[in-house]
Parts: sequence; C-alpha cells; structure tokens
Amino acid sequence: MDVHAAHNAVTAAAPAFSSRPEDIAWFILLLPLLAAAGITLIVRRSNFLAATFSIAATVTAFVLSFVLFLMFGVGDAAAVTSPFAWLHAGELAVNLGVTVDKLSTLMLLVVTGVSALVQVYSVGYMHGDRSFPRFFIGLSLFTFSMLGIVLADNFVMMFLFWELVGVSSWLLIGFWYEKESAADAAKKAFLTNRLGDFGFLLGIIIIWAAAGTVNFAELSQKLGAHPDLLGSLASVAGLLVFMGAMGKSAQFPLHVWLPDAMEGPTPVSALIHAATMVAAGVYMLCRVFFLYQVETAWPAALAFFGSISALDIIGGIGAFTALLAALMAIQQNDIKRILAYSTLSQLGYMVMAVGCGGPDAAMYHLTTHAGFKALLFLGAGSVIHACHHEQDIWKMGGLRKLMPKTFLTFALGTAALAGLPPLSGFYSKDAVLLAALDNGHPVLFGLGVLIAAMTTFYMLRLVLVAFLGSGRSEAAGHAHESPGAMTWPLVILAVPSVMLAWVPLGDYLTHHFFTDHGHVHGHGSEVISFGATISAAFGLVNHILFEPFNHAPLPAFLGTGALIIGAWIAVTLYWNAERDPLPKLLGSFARGMRNRFYFDEIYEAIFIPLHDLVARLADWFDRWVVGGLAVRGAHGSTELLGRALRIVQSGNLQTYTFFFVAGVALVVLIALK
Amino acid sequence: MTNGDYYQLLKLLAPEWTVVGTVLAILFADLQFWRNRSVAWRSAGAASILSLGFAAAAGLLIWKRAVTADLLGGTLVLSPTSQYVKLALLGLAIVTAWLCTEGEFTKHVGEFVALIALATAGMMFLVSTENLLMVFVALELVSLSLYVMTAFNKRSPRSAEAALKYFLFGGMAAAFTLFGFSFLYGLTGSIHLPTIAAKISWHAGDPLTLVAIVLVVAGFGFKIAAVPFHLWAPDAYEGAPAPAAAFIASGSKVASFFVLGKLLSVGLPGVGGSGAWKAFSPGWLAVVAILATASMIFGNLAALAQSSLRRLLAYSAIAHAGYALLAIIGGSQPALLYYAITYAVTSVGIFGVVAVVENRTGNEDIAGLAGLRERSFLLSVALSVFVLSLAGVPPLAGFFGKFYAFAAAAKLGSSLGYWWLVALALGASCVSLFYYLQVLKQVWVAPVPEGQGKVAGGWVVSILLALLALAVLVTGAAPELLIRFLK
Amino acid sequence: MTPLHGYLFVSALLFAVGLAGALTRRNAILVLVGVELMLNAANLNFLAFWRYGPNPEALTGVMFVLFAIAVAAAEAAVGLALVIAIYRHYRSSNVDEAATMKG
Repeated sequence: MDVHAAHNAVTAAAPAFSSRPEDIAWFILLLPLLAAAGITLIVRRSNFLAATFSIAATVTAFVLSFVLFLMFGVGDAAAVTSPFAWLHAGELAVNLGVTVDKLSTLMLLVVTGVSALVQVYSVGYMHGDRSFPRFFIGLSLFTFSMLGIVLADNFVMMFLFWELVGVSSWLLIGFWYEKESAADAAKKAFLTNRLGDFGFLLGIIIIWAAAGTVNFAELSQKLGAHPDLLGSLASVAGLLVFMGAMGKSAQFPLHVWLPDAMEGPTPVSALIHAATMVAAGVYMLCRVFFLYQVETAWPAALAFFGSISALDIIGGIGAFTALLAALMAIQQNDIKRILAYSTLSQLGYMVMAVGCGGPDAAMYHLTTHAGFKALLFLGAGSVIHACHHEQDIWKMGGLRKLMPKTFLTFALGTAALAGLPPLSGFYSKDAVLLAALDNGHPVLFGLGVLIAAMTTFYMLRLVLVAFLGSGRSEAAGHAHESPGAMTWPLVILAVPSVMLAWVPLGDYLTHHFFTDHGHVHGHGSEVISFGATISAAFGLVNHILFEPFNHAPLPAFLGTGALIIGAWIAVTLYWNAERDPLPKLLGSFARGMRNRFYFDEIYEAIFIPLHDLVARLADWFDRWVVGGLAVRGAHGSTELLGRALRIVQSGNLQTYTFFFVAGVALVVLIALK
Repeated sequence: MTNGDYYQLLKLLAPEWTVVGTVLAILFADLQFWRNRSVAWRSAGAASILSLGFAAAAGLLIWKRAVTADLLGGTLVLSPTSQYVKLALLGLAIVTAWLCTEGEFTKHVGEFVALIALATAGMMFLVSTENLLMVFVALELVSLSLYVMTAFNKRSPRSAEAALKYFLFGGMAAAFTLFGFSFLYGLTGSIHLPTIAAKISWHAGDPLTLVAIVLVVAGFGFKIAAVPFHLWAPDAYEGAPAPAAAFIASGSKVASFFVLGKLLSVGLPGVGGSGAWKAFSPGWLAVVAILATASMIFGNLAALAQSSLRRLLAYSAIAHAGYALLAIIGGSQPALLYYAITYAVTSVGIFGVVAVVENRTGNEDIAGLAGLRERSFLLSVALSVFVLSLAGVPPLAGFFGKFYAFAAAAKLGSSLGYWWLVALALGASCVSLFYYLQVLKQVWVAPVPEGQGKVAGGWVVSILLALLALAVLVTGAAPELLIRFLK
Repeated sequence: MTPLHGYLFVSALLFAVGLAGALTRRNAILVLVGVELMLNAANLNFLAFWRYGPNPEALTGVMFVLFAIAVAAAEAAVGLALVIAIYRHYRSSNVDEAATMKG
C-alpha cells in the first residue's frame, strides 16, 4: 500500500468520525478535557473509573492523531485550519482555530502517545495514593492544554494554552502540596515561566501592533511579501518570542526551575519535564520559524549587535545551556536529577539546532528524545519505586539482576540518548550536528560533539553505578521488578527509541517540514513509499542505517567518536566503583558541577541584598527625612523597619495631603517639560 | 426646552427612579416594621428588598437597552453602552448588599444598605452624562455615601479613622477637580463635553490648559486610586466594613473609570499630547502615562511587603488602576470597560471571601487564610480563581483584560511609541505574581492552625461567590460574551 | 490688569490659603474649613468666568456655583459627623491622633 492508498483508506474511514480532518483535530483537542470534566463531575470517587476515562480518552486521541498523521504527515494533504471567531473588538481580531499540517500532526502523535503510556504507567506508580483521581484530572488537563499549544493557529490562542500548560504543570508538580519542597518547586516553576512569558506576550503584542494579525499563516504570508514589515523591531520581536521558549524549555538563564520540578511524582517528570511540556518551547520556535527568516534589524539602542541575528543568539544560548547542563549532570547523584540535567542539555541541543537554521533537525531530535527520555524517566521511576523511594544512585547498584526488564529498557534508552548507531538518537543527533556544520556554525558544531561525549559519559556513569556492581544499601538489595502496568510502557517506549529512525519516518522527519528552505540536506532525497517491495525495503533499511556515514561522514564519524571516548572514560572511572572518583580528580570544579555552579545561590545573592538595601534606604529615609523633616508625626518609625517603599504611607493624613499636592505639582512639571 | 422634554427625562430615568425608590423602601421597612427584629434578619431583609428593587431596575434597563438619548444639553446622555455599565453596577451593588449579612458591624443595617443603593444611584447618574456639573454632583453623591459607609462601624476606631482620612483626602480631591472644571469652563465657556472638545485647543506653552487637565485628572486619580493620589486607599480598605470596602473597590471604580475615559476622550481629544517614547509632549496622554507608570511600580512593590490581606488588596488595586489607565491611553472604551468590570467583579468576590473569613476567624492577615482548603473548599476555589485572575493567568478574565488593554496601548500612534509602558506593565504584572502566590500558598499549602474549624458563609453569599467565580472564568474564556455589549 | 485677571488672582490666592490651611492645621475641623475655602475659590472662578466670559446671558456659571455650594454644605455635614465619630474614639479632633493605620 503506498501513501496515497493509505491516504484514501484513511479518508474512507474518516466519515465515521467526520468528513473534515479539522473536525477530527477539534475532537482530539477536546477529548482530554471531556475526560477531566467527566472525572470531576461523575467518577471522582472511583480510582478505576477515573483512570479508565483518562486513558481511554488519550488512547482515542492517539489513534485519531495517527489517522491525521497518515493524512497530513505522510500523505500530501495540504494544511488546513478551522478558525471560528473568538473575539472581534475593533482591530483586535482573534480566532480560535486548529492548524493541521505536517508539523502539528507529528507533535500530536508525540504528545498523545507519551501521555497515554505515562497514564498507564501511573496506574501502577500512583497505586494507593489517596488523591488518585485528582492526579488523573491533572494529567488530562495537562494533555488538553498541551494539545492546544500544538494545534493553535495563532499567537493568542497559543499563549492561552501556553499558560494553561503552566497552570496544570503547577498543579501536578505541587501534587503533593503538603510537602513544602514540592510546593516551593511548583511556585518556582510557575514564577520562572512567567518571566519568560512576560517576554513572549510583549513579543506577541509588538508583532500584532506592527503586523496587525496574530495568525501564523497570515503572518507568514505578510512577512513573506514584506520582509521589512516589523521594521527595526524584527530581531527584538523574535527574541522576545524566544523568551517564552526560554522559560518553557528551560534555557539559560531561566533553567533553574526544571531540576527542582523533579519534586513532582515521577510520571509527571516523564510526561511534562522530559517529553512534552519542555519541548513546547522548541515546537513553538519551529512553528514560528518564519519570524526568524526576515532580515536582521536592530533598533538604534541595540545597534551594537550589528549583523548578529536573532537566530545566532538563540543558537548561542542553546549551545551554552546544553554545555552547562551536561557539566552539571556529571556530578549529580540523584537519579532523577541526572536525567533532569540531561533533559536540559538535550533541550539546549534542540534550541541550538533551531538557532543554526535547522528547525527540522530540532523537531527530529525532539521526537526521538520524547521517546527515549520518557523511557528513561519511567525506568528511573521503576527503580525508585523498587528501592522504596531511594533516589541516590550511590545507594543502588546491582539492580541489573533484580530488575531485568527495567535494566534492559533503561540501557536501550541510555544507548539511544548517547547516540549509539543505529538507534534513533544517533540519527537525530547527527541531523543537529549536520545542521550546525552545513549552516556555517563550526563552533557550535564542535560544542555539539563535545556535549555528545559528555552525554555518553554521565549516562554510562548512571547505568554503571545504579545497575551494575553490587547493591550498596539494604533497599537496593531487596529491590524487585515493578508490576506489569509499569514495565509494559517501558517495553513499548523502547521500540521507538530503537527503531524510530529505521522506518521511513526518520527520513521524513529530517526534511519534510520546511520545504521552502533547504537548510538541511536530507539523508537521501529519493521519495520513499510504503509500497516498496520487501527487498527494496531491505535495501532501504540498509540505506537509511548507514546513510549518515556516506552522505556527511564528518558529523557521523565525529559523533560516534565522541560516543566512544565518553564511554571509555566512564567505564574506566566507574566500572565497579564504590565511590565517585571524579571529585578527587577535578577538585573544586567537580564541586561546582555538583552544586549546579551555584546558580540558585547567585540568584539569591543578587536579590536578597538588593531587597535589604532598599529596605534599609527606605528605613533611613523614613526616619530622617519623612519622620524628622518633611512632616511631624510619623511615630514609631522603628515599626517601619524593613517596610520598603511604604514610607509615604505614614498613617498621617496631612502627609497624605502633602503628597497629593506634591504629586499634582510634580505631574505638572513633568508633563510640561 | 419643553414639557415634553421633562416627560421624556422622567421616562428615561425610570431605572434611576426605581433605585431611589428602593432606597426609600429599605429605610421605611427597616425603621417602620423591623425595629424588634435581629440584626441578621434585618440585614437579610434589607438586602432582599435591594435585590428586588435592583432587579426591577435591571429589567427596565434591559427593556430599554437600545436607547440613545441626549437631553438638556448633554446633561443626560444615554447609549446602549451606558445602559450595560449600569447593569453591571446594579449587579455589583446586589452582591455588596448581601455581604452585609456577613458579620454584624452595625445595628443600623437598613441605613447602610440604603446608602449602598444611594451610591449606586450616584454612579448611574455619573455614567449617563456629558455635563461637568452633573459629573460633579453625581461624583459627590457617590463619594459622600461611601464616606459614611466607611465610618459605619461605630465600635471600631479604625473605621472612624479610615472614614476621616478618606473624607478629608476626598474633599481636597473634589476641590482640585472643581478648580480644574472652573478652568475648563473659563477656557471654553462651556461645561458640555463635546462643546469643550470643539473649543479647546492647544496653545503652545499654555500652562493653564495643562493645569486644568492635571487638576481634573487628580480628582479622578483619587477615585481610582492612582499614584500619587492613592494614599487614602490602603487605610480605607483596612478600616472600612467589608461591604463598604468591596463597593469602594468595585462599583466606584467602574463608574469612575468610565467617566474618566469619557471625559478625556470625548471632552479633551485635542489636547492629548503624547506619552510616546522619546516623543513626549504635554497633554493628558502624558499625564495619564505618568500616573500609570507610578501606579504600576509603586502599587506592586508596596504590595510585596504587606501582611494584611486588605492592605495587599489595596496596593494591588493601585497597581490595577495603572493597568487600566493603559486602556484609557489606548483610547479603547471596550478595553477599559472590560477591564474595569471584570476587575470589579473579581474585587467584590475577594472582599466577599475576606468578609466571610474575617467574620468567622477575626483574623485580617494573609495568615488568617491558612489551611482554608480544609476549612471551606468553595471559598478556597473561589478565592483562587479571583486571585489568579488578578494575577492575569489565562483563561481567567484578568488575563484577557490586561491583554486587551495593553494591546490597545501598544497599537496607539505609529511605531509602537508606547512600547515602554506596555513592557513596564507586563513586567509589573510578573512582579505581582509573587504576592498573589503568597495568598494562594496560605490557602493551599499552609497547615490548618490549631483549634480552627470550618468556615462557611451564608448560603446566599456562597451562591453569589460561586457565580462571581464562574463569571470570571466564563468572561475570560469567552470574552466576546461581555465585549459585544461594550462596543 | 483686567477685572477677570483680578478675580482669578484672588481666587488663586483663596485656593492657596485654603490649601495651606488644610495642610498645616491639626484640627480636623480647620482642615475642613481649608477644603471649603478651596471649593469657594473654584466658585469664584466660575462666577468670574461667567461674568466676563463670551456669553454671560447663559446662566451656566451661576448654576454651577449654586450646586457647588449645596454640595459643599452636604460635605460639611458629613465631615462634621465624621469629626464627632473620631472625637468619640480619640477624645480629640486632632488629625495627628488618628494615625493608627499605616504602611
């Protein structure tokens, strides 16, 4: 059956749901919301029904997404949107609409697929929790919000769901809200994300004010026709929008929230902080990549950037995040934190790919990463579950024999993440490196290779210490394999981790999104169809597997070389190691890595003295100026100690009236100038 | 002027008459029949009469919603928009009246509820005129009612103190406004806004016009609590009885924003000047931009340091006045009204929760909300919706209100001259999240204090609060539902 | 100096005197008196602008002043009541005493 036949079969089957694909998309979007509403209203008391509702909705959404994917992703159906007016107020017209095209259908598949597996897994992991239904409400709400981002056809709708994702992830991280650290982590995540969203919203408003529309398709068209539409703000607007991605995808310097978010239940970490939500930033950058294809232009105040484009800055930030996070990952001992920093690092990789002008490479890596990182997190959850919530890898060890399924799948995930050919991670990483090399970013390319070596190193360290050797604690000694609800998702996730790149998907992913620009030289340019004969398929598989080495040998060989070096060092240092030899070798640098280079401390060190300084100044001003000179009264100024900026509010009426008059005079003066 | 005019005036003002009639009915019933009843009974009775009367007035408004009129030289100007704003005011007043059933702060509930109705009448007149005299008289009717309401808790020295501060500060603001009005009259020879607009013109370097503008804006700046005319607000919010504070924070704000917007856009369109980046020129746009900047910065920073819930709300109100001023700058009436109305609904809702909690626990600090999730789930959810809406989290109304207002300001003029104000507003709303989350942390995370039991309001108040929370959610998720009435 | 300017000068002076009183007097009643003076300064303005304005036959200025006087009277009544309320709690009508709420 070739693609068109598949397409026809699908459209023939489609009337069962609807004759229009955009209606299917709406239905996919609403399914998880219906599930959440259903659980809240009807089956709040039953754990079994709550899980069933939620999982059924997500699985149905996955199947429908697959249908759409065959039509749009693999087939040649043109992108469709289905807007209906949400708001028309003067010049501000916003529609709610879904975009169904290659990009969104692929992402739909990722989100619904990982979400479904994580929900199945949660049945086992959250077994016995007293707020079990609430957890599934949270997961369903999250899935709904995430699908909203994926399907949004304009900036405002995307921002709306963007914030909804923030709120629902806040609910899920803080799921164990009685736990102080979880509540704090939830708050930190929320606040840091808002900082990024501040830029995002400002960017949206600027774009709307300059271009008069927030719709992606219209905007892309307008920018195509008039590349100077945004004037001198083009690059600034692009960077402001990127700030949103910085928050959600945890790019430096807004990366501090992600590791703390690991306080949430492990399935949440897998779904939100590994596979989907954090990838939303990268997805958004790909969706609005047209914004970055306009000519670089800076306003006068920022003219010193010269010919450095917004994309260059994005690429730089991505690479820096990737490097920094990889360094931090090397000295973490908490299994979830290692994975968290690894996620940070890989997100940096994807952002770097976008910055190098390779959004398709970024999407490719996003897709494969979603599979193996979800697998790794769920595997880690399985380990933690077995070791009675012990998360320190140095208190594990020897789990290989006790938890064979978990070990095997975890090892596959590790190999994929490290980029071992022919697993999926190898191809997507290769695509990223190729994008850097081909678009003239040799420094980023070099950094990418270095990070690849470090990735292999810290992941192998994790596997060697936690799974091999002998048990270092009682809990590790008595560990046993997790129940089927938890291991089956691991097995299922292992499949794409290994083979995603073997099927023609891999080829499709690398160069089918952005047909209008040819930055990424695809791995083989011939059209590949399902209808090929078996022998051709063999040839094809053969071709795909070794294609990177033939087509662009430099990144492929260097990537593999990095893998070998990283693995060699890790094995030398950690084979049967009882304690970590690195601190002795590296001294204070290792301490820096372990302490995350003191970013949290630096932030605190900046903000707390500032706060104190303002408070002290205010107190001084209150005591000597307001209290002593300007007005009589202001009794008990000591009471005001530390009450920064409230000095004016002395409680004395005539102080108020005085400031009123002074305010009038001041406003007249300023306005007259 | 003919007798027909007066007859028509009577007919057009039917909702206002109904409101005034309600005032009398409440006073009569309370003084004549309910002398020996308990305070709780009388407050529920008075609130019921008010609700009935206002429902009748609302019915009249809806019946005549398509009216447009301009009578007696702009003294009475009706439009569909003004009718809908009046509807909102009536709704806010009904909720406020029911808040009187939470806590017995006075034995004279009849008078208190009657004052709510009287203030509402003032607000209704305020939003249906384009005449400076009428604006002044209606404004004073509202203010005087609110001063008295603030002082109504006779047992509390803080109530008296709050009222005195509010009153003297307000009196001075009124004097400034009147002085400004007199200059506008002197410059144009008219007190009719469109005539003023036609006659006033900007003479280069003419400080008198600017002084007039600043004086007028200062008077309204007092009503909406914009920096530097905000100083009464924290004390009044803290000392006033909860329903009085709720009405000051809601109805009064809606009416004042509406009139300020109308005054500036209808009465003074030619003397806007500019507050654009590096293109500053004297005029009310510049003045309002200064007030907005100061309000957003000062309100948010001062709110960070509060431990009293009511003072926190006061400073947050100051910050919100700053955001709403952006809609005035943007010249978008629907944006302004959407913002003001949704903000008022949120505020009155929060004060409802505050009234119930204070009444049951006697604690006015943010810490008094500790463990509210265990003590009243409904109040916790409602409060969270309100607070998150104030913080501007979608899909609640607060987000969309901000977006609409900021977008209007961004679009003004050419080349994004007001980007600095928009950026500041967005930054300020980021900061605001810190103190809003403090409130939510108490509700959802802090442990229940020893010896504190359940908290529950009366069933009417509970239903009203749930409805308000729902309204915040629905108007946020589908803003068109509200906006189509405000265009 | 034309008569209009003379009146405006006097009214400005009156406003300033009232303002100074409101700002410096401790007694709440005297603050209130200051505010009333400011209102009357505005009234004087209205009358002067009406009398020397382009169309003194329309009684706009006078009407405004009449209403303003009535409003000021109502304001004084409410104000005095509030002063009594303060006096009952603090045994003083001094605005400095009533300064318990701050910050």
